[in-house]
Amino acid sequence: MANFFPKWTNWLPLKLVICAGALVTAIAGGLTYYFTPKYTRVGYEPNQPVPFSHVIHVQQLGMDCRYCHSFVEVASHSNVPTTQTCMACHTQIKADSPKLAAVRESWKTGQPVNWVRIHQVPDYTYFNHAVHVNRGVSCYSCHGAVNEMKVVYQHEPQSMSWCLDCHRAPENHLRPPSEIYNMAWKPAEDTTQREIGLKFKEEWEVNPPVTCGGCHR
Amino acid sequence: MKKNLNHPAPETNPRIWRSLRERENDPEFLKHLQTEFPRGADVYQDSGLSKREFMKLMGASIALAGVGLAGCRRPESYLVPFTKGVEYAIPGKFLYYATSMPARYGAVPLIATTSDGRPTKLEGNPLHPFSNGGTDSFAQAEILNLYDPHRSKQITENGKASDTAAFDAFIQSIANSNGEGLAILSESKSSPTRDRLRAALEAKFPKLIWAEYDPLAPTATIEANEASFGPNIRLVPDFKRADIVLAIGSDFLNPIETGIGFAQGFAARRSPDQEGAQMNRLYAVENHFTVTGGMADHRLRCKASELGEFTRQLALAVAAKTNDANLAAVAKAFPESKAAINADWVKECAADLAANTGRSIVLAGPLTPAPLQTLVNAINSALGNIGATLKPVKTDSRDAASIEDLAAAINKGSVNNLFLLGVNPAQNAPANLDFTALLGKVPNTVHLGLFEDETAKACRWHVPAAHFLETWGDIRTFDGTYTSVQPMILPLWNGVSEIELLNKLIGSAAPEGPALVRATFNKVAKGASDESWNAFLRDGFLPDSAFAPAKMAFNATTAAAVAKQAQPAKADALELVFLQSPSVDDGRYANNSWLLETPDFVTKLTWDNAVLVSPATAKKLGIKANNFNVLGDIAEKMGNDVNYDLVADIVEI
Repeated sequence: MANFFPKWTNWLPLKLVICAGALVTAIAGGLTYYFTPKYTRVGYEPNQPVPFSHVIHVQQLGMDCRYCHSFVEVASHSNVPTTQTCMACHTQIKADSPKLAAVRESWKTGQPVNWVRIHQVPDYTYFNHAVHVNRGVSCYSCHGAVNEMKVVYQHEPQSMSWCLDCHRAPENHLRPPSEIYNMAWKPAEDTTQREIGLKFKEEWEVNPPVTCGGCHR
Repeated sequence: MKKNLNHPAPETNPRIWRSLRERENDPEFLKHLQTEFPRGADVYQDSGLSKREFMKLMGASIALAGVGLAGCRRPESYLVPFTKGVEYAIPGKFLYYATSMPARYGAVPLIATTSDGRPTKLEGNPLHPFSNGGTDSFAQAEILNLYDPHRSKQITENGKASDTAAFDAFIQSIANSNGEGLAILSESKSSPTRDRLRAALEAKFPKLIWAEYDPLAPTATIEANEASFGPNIRLVPDFKRADIVLAIGSDFLNPIETGIGFAQGFAARRSPDQEGAQMNRLYAVENHFTVTGGMADHRLRCKASELGEFTRQLALAVAAKTNDANLAAVAKAFPESKAAINADWVKECAADLAANTGRSIVLAGPLTPAPLQTLVNAINSALGNIGATLKPVKTDSRDAASIEDLAAAINKGSVNNLFLLGVNPAQNAPANLDFTALLGKVPNTVHLGLFEDETAKACRWHVPAAHFLETWGDIRTFDGTYTSVQPMILPLWNGVSEIELLNKLIGSAAPEGPALVRATFNKVAKGASDESWNAFLRDGFLPDSAFAPAKMAFNATTAAAVAKQAQPAKADALELVFLQSPSVDDGRYANNSWLLETPDFVTKLTWDNAVLVSPATAKKLGIKANNFNVLGDIAEKMGNDVNYDLVADIVEI
């Protein structure tokens, strides 16, 4: 009986398995990188209606975060400032700047300024700003060095695994309560972040939830 | 390995049948099949597309829309702060304010939860001395009424859209006139501000007719108390001091009937673990199952028409035990009727009451007839309960004309301008008045209401009313505690409150914020100051402002005169009893789905109304359960058309 299949087909099944394996690996690898918040969200830097610069306000003028984000310590939601807050200074400083036209318009008409949202926690996740900032988690840990951002962008992926990294080992991020809003804080020379973190974790009984119900209530 | 490719040719028309009758080609069945699945039933009439084609097109459109991967982009969303900071408001945190809901029996003091300036939940005010945090189902459901999309939103004149300027001009023309033929119909309400404005309006227009109407108003109680003790006397029960309670046709544990504040006092004495006192004992006599009857230690079934006879026998038994001449006189004046009352039950109940003088309460339902309630007053008086468990207070309510008086005035032609404030007589006035026709006889009618209801349609003007969560006001609870009504939100549809409309009629300038209520507060509160006003708003009530205890004596002569008017029960007559609905009240909550969705407290009925007939009566008349025409059936069985006057004696309860 003649050979139905030529000789090269002997290796065909193996080659097919290797190719399919490579393809599946490429797709899985691509999805895990390109479809996750690390790629889709980090660096999101939309145009804002007012070219507000945190560099000028925080870095140069030394304003505290809480002057504008005034309810961060008491509410689950950290507010963006009202037009009134802007106008408290800008009726006198840069009162005619064309960059502030949108703010003046809002003050005149009563229609609020629509700031574009950058950080978004999904509706099915419970998040409370006050609890974090009052327990030693700095603004810096989740929002990056906002004081150095001319235009605010997303610095951290804020994905579930990112949340859990800190919930499982909060000592890597905890700070003394006086330094929560100090964006330039570094542990003193003779200590490490881990030492300080462990100390505060024990002193304040920081015990972040790692169960599903902790955030998906 | 040759294959045989000569397969047999397939059958051209395989015969598939789906039932034996189809296989038999039953002509009747084929006809039915034709009507069941007519040709072209899957084709949309508008476009001529079949369902299959529609799915194809829609699928293709969605696939095309996804080509640009527009769906994968993150949608831009916004953070929108306030323009000006709002006092006390913290985003994401609730603010709580004290307010209250005006109700038939006074008011329900409330704490309103507001989120970002919108009221979202109402609960009882736990600081209030009378209610102690109690609410009822109607108060809980009022949030839904506030946001009801069917609320009226537009001033209308003769059914056409009008505006505030036109209506104000009309009001001004009345305010500038001599007030000839001006009449007002409203619900009775113990609001000191409204009373003050009414007095000012009457001073300006002495011929004003002020009428009050509510189909479920406790007019019989007022009449009975006036005959027993004198005008404006109200009995405030203190259940904490009562060892024995007898409820005659009264569902006092259900707050929608007699109001909040009763069940708590009762429940406090219901606990077997309480210190220093025995558990209380509850007797209930009633014609249908109620919450109170369900709680009773001893419950007696009694026809509504025979409650009077029961009370008479009880009164005689109590009179014999207490040797009270007044009670004996009133009980003897009460006409006797032939009814089989369980004599042992009456005897035991009377003995229990007589053994606990000054520590019992006999209650009659607010809708039982006045002679019965007068007799109950006499019993309480003989038992020494007045002043002990029943605190008599003197109210500040003023006389008002009845809806019958108003109808007579309209028929005489002496009413030119009729204001209907928050009432719906076209729907709920007694049918023999034919109020819709009466409204047609008045040249200018103005209806102020939350909805464009039957009365709004029959009136010249309709003005959207402000909800109580949108207005400033004040009210007295059942015991007389002066209670605040605060707005939680600006009127959603530019509604006007009753007191604002009255103020306009007087011709005064529109009030600034709470100015009208503040003026009343300054009179009511001794030494009123900004501090006491702020405390009044913060706590929701003025401390120690309840009605003063009244000193009075039981007047047997006038009481006997009223008791004499009782209608004796007709033996074996079929009776039809109309009850307050726990879901729609007198019909005003007909658009509130929360209330309709809530099961009836006893029957568990939702979204419905039913004629409840006892099994024995149903058997006698041959009525089957779940029948949708019970009244019609009864009428037919009794050989009449559906004319309820002929079918049965209608018992007012």
